[in-house]
Amino acid sequence: MHYSQQEKAVIWLSARVRTDDRTRAALLRAAGDPARLLFDFKKICAAVIKDGANRVYISGTLSPAEEAEALTDELERRGCFAVTPLSDDYPASLAAISDPPLLLYGMGDRALLGRRKFCVVGSRRLPAWAERQTGLMAEELSRHFAVVTGFAEGGDRAAAAGALKNENVICVLPNGLDVCYPAAHASLKERVAAHGLLLSEYAFGERAAKYTFYARNRLLAGLCEGVLVTAAGSKSGALITAARALEYGRDVFAFPHQPGTLQGVGCNELIKSGAALVTEAQDILSAYGILGEERPRVALTAREERVLAVLRAEGCLHTAIVAERAGLAVFEAAAALSSLEIKNLVVKSGGNRYSAV
Amino acid sequence: MIAKIVCYALNGLEGVPVEVETDINKGMPSYEMVGLPDAAVKEARERVRSALKNSRFLFPVGRITINFAPADLRKEGAAFDLAVAVSLLKASEQLVGADVSDTVFLGELALNGDLRPVAGLLPLLISAKGHGFTKFIVPAANAKEARFLGGAHIFPTRTLREVVGHLTGAAPIAPLGTAAFVPHASSKNTADLMFVKGQPVARRALEVAVAGGHNLLLVGPPGTGKTMLARCIPSVMPDLTFEEALEITKIHSVAGVLGEEGIVTERPFRTPHHTATTVSMCGGGNRTVHPGEMSLAHGGVLFLDELPEYNRSTLEAMRQPLEDGRITVSRAGGTVTFPARFMLCASMNPCPCGNYGSTERTCTCTPAEIRRYRKKISGPLLDRIDLQVEVDNVSYDALASSARQESSAAVKERVNVARTIQSARFEGCGIHTNAEMGERELAHFCGLNAEGNAILRSAFERMKLSARARGRIIKVARTIADLAASEEILPEHVFEAVSYRMYDKFD
Repeated sequence: MHYSQQEKAVIWLSARVRTDDRTRAALLRAAGDPARLLFDFKKICAAVIKDGANRVYISGTLSPAEEAEALTDELERRGCFAVTPLSDDYPASLAAISDPPLLLYGMGDRALLGRRKFCVVGSRRLPAWAERQTGLMAEELSRHFAVVTGFAEGGDRAAAAGALKNENVICVLPNGLDVCYPAAHASLKERVAAHGLLLSEYAFGERAAKYTFYARNRLLAGLCEGVLVTAAGSKSGALITAARALEYGRDVFAFPHQPGTLQGVGCNELIKSGAALVTEAQDILSAYGILGEERPRVALTAREERVLAVLRAEGCLHTAIVAERAGLAVFEAAAALSSLEIKNLVVKSGGNRYSAV
Repeated sequence: MIAKIVCYALNGLEGVPVEVETDINKGMPSYEMVGLPDAAVKEARERVRSALKNSRFLFPVGRITINFAPADLRKEGAAFDLAVAVSLLKASEQLVGADVSDTVFLGELALNGDLRPVAGLLPLLISAKGHGFTKFIVPAANAKEARFLGGAHIFPTRTLREVVGHLTGAAPIAPLGTAAFVPHASSKNTADLMFVKGQPVARRALEVAVAGGHNLLLVGPPGTGKTMLARCIPSVMPDLTFEEALEITKIHSVAGVLGEEGIVTERPFRTPHHTATTVSMCGGGNRTVHPGEMSLAHGGVLFLDELPEYNRSTLEAMRQPLEDGRITVSRAGGTVTFPARFMLCASMNPCPCGNYGSTERTCTCTPAEIRRYRKKISGPLLDRIDLQVEVDNVSYDALASSARQESSAAVKERVNVARTIQSARFEGCGIHTNAEMGERELAHFCGLNAEGNAILRSAFERMKLSARARGRIIKVARTIADLAASEEILPEHVFEAVSYRMYDKFD
């Protein structure tokens, strides 16, 4: 990967100068040509920062230019790349937000940055049907969009796994690219790096902290044309993403949840305050003028049809009640439900309860 | 004069003949025991001396040497007391005319000459009978246990005087009659499926598990009746045969937990607490090796309540016995193999707070906590549990059929039919149930048709089942087909089997 001198200057500024993004932007403006930062940093710095100008950067044995060189070499060595506002493929949607990141680390397929992007997020704990629907929805959306999501358990994971089937997924991490949080997602991280794209604005080795999730959520919203919240409690992080999306003028979509379900309160609130209600992928695709394909119908036995009809009519039901309503023995109903689960038409939600998808 | 009396020592579940030789010489009075006796055997000296005196016999004066042969076998316990006393009497010529050469003497003596019962009597009798002995003198308190040994003359005695009276012919004792074995003669387990409310899914899983000899994991929130269900398992298992009962009785007798009735008539139901140590589960002991919980559950059910709370190494120790049906324990006292073919039934909560999947209460656990909790059960152990089923807490008011609850007897009938089919199928294979099938039997008896294979393949893809689940699913499907009296494994059987694999999904 080749970086221009200007890009190297921005990478160096982000990685080595310990200050906030606003000050960095001021430094860039003062420099005129970013490349000047590498050679005239002390002077520019003194002009911009009144107090403690020499605290933001403590030079080591290497000069800033040499340090910039070392930074790009390290990126190369780790198989990563850096995206700065100077790069050709810096997402325009991200540049439009009020606090765009000066530097994004990336690992995987860089071409995904140029695609249309849509964000799918869900809280870590969500009803089984919502988890399954998140995966299916992400899979369908990923035929037309790069699906952008976080990296947490539950909703994010389901979305990433669904979109991975079309190799069209971008995960934005709240920590350095070499850190895996949660640790159980090590294999998911590998797959996304191989078949999708991992993004992060944090340097290698930086760990996730409370504030990094907030900052990351602004990127999720900023990168995309719209955000779908599949499940959110009353204080879920997914709601922060939705709030950012509204702030940036993006569309917000949400799954409707059964009233009284704690894991869906946030979604219902979003819908009440104007988010678009989504029950199938076409609801989202239509908003962007895309016509999706019909899902192929699966052949079912008469018994399975009966069981499915019962579940479609009554929502989440216990196996025994399904059996009674469909006029089957419990073990016959269990077999039919298991078959329907394999065909992706129902989902088991704990306590021997099933619901139709 | 040298007296030779035969007694038996226990080595694991086997009896080993021990000859008690007594010689009385002239010289300074002394009383020595040689031949590797342990402390309890050496203490026989004082017990026998008092017992003789208080039974109005003479304690001989002279140099007394008592030898236990073979000399290289360590002798344990108090079962030698009677043999020592009789050999002393014989050597001091107080038993003139009595033939004691083909009689086995077993019993512990009290100071007043009463005979006390010994642990592990039945295995000793069975071994001795195998060695050709047919006359036994045993404590009357052990009579119930001894009655089940047919084809031998067993004389129950209460005191040392009675023994001598019998031997000299002054007051012969009538031999014990042989008792017929009656299953469930003494029913302690009153659990019955009739009293289990609801739980249709778990009931069915329990029936399948027992029918095929599969292990069972019950997962559910606290207070949903997991323990209640587990207690019903023995009530639907096939009745014990006499051979099985004898084998179980041997183990229980050695462990000293045999009840009043003298023989085990019901399948054992063992519930070790989750603080149980590895040794208490596997068996062990300082010098003598005692059977552990796994062996005590032989032929019955080992129920582990709150499975994740058990010590990990304790659980891992069960892996090999679960495969082989026996456990070999090596200790300083020797190496012993105990049978340990039991049905494992375990229960656990779905998550640390217990409310995961509940409709009424909210689960407060994070996904990481739930994962950590489930990870306490290792994959290889889970691999050996064919059925994993959720026990739910639904209120059955919504169900019209909730009034009808099947009794254990009805379920047991179906189980017996399925077991008969399996016995016929595995004739000559050395196994009896579907759960014991190896790769060879799986290929031979459980061929799936193209449709069945296609189902399994899609199940693996869609439900993300682990590779090791395959064989398990087929075995359970075979049992379900047996319950339906179907020669072939049909798709619906495979589907039902798949529905019992809730923990095989990869995260």
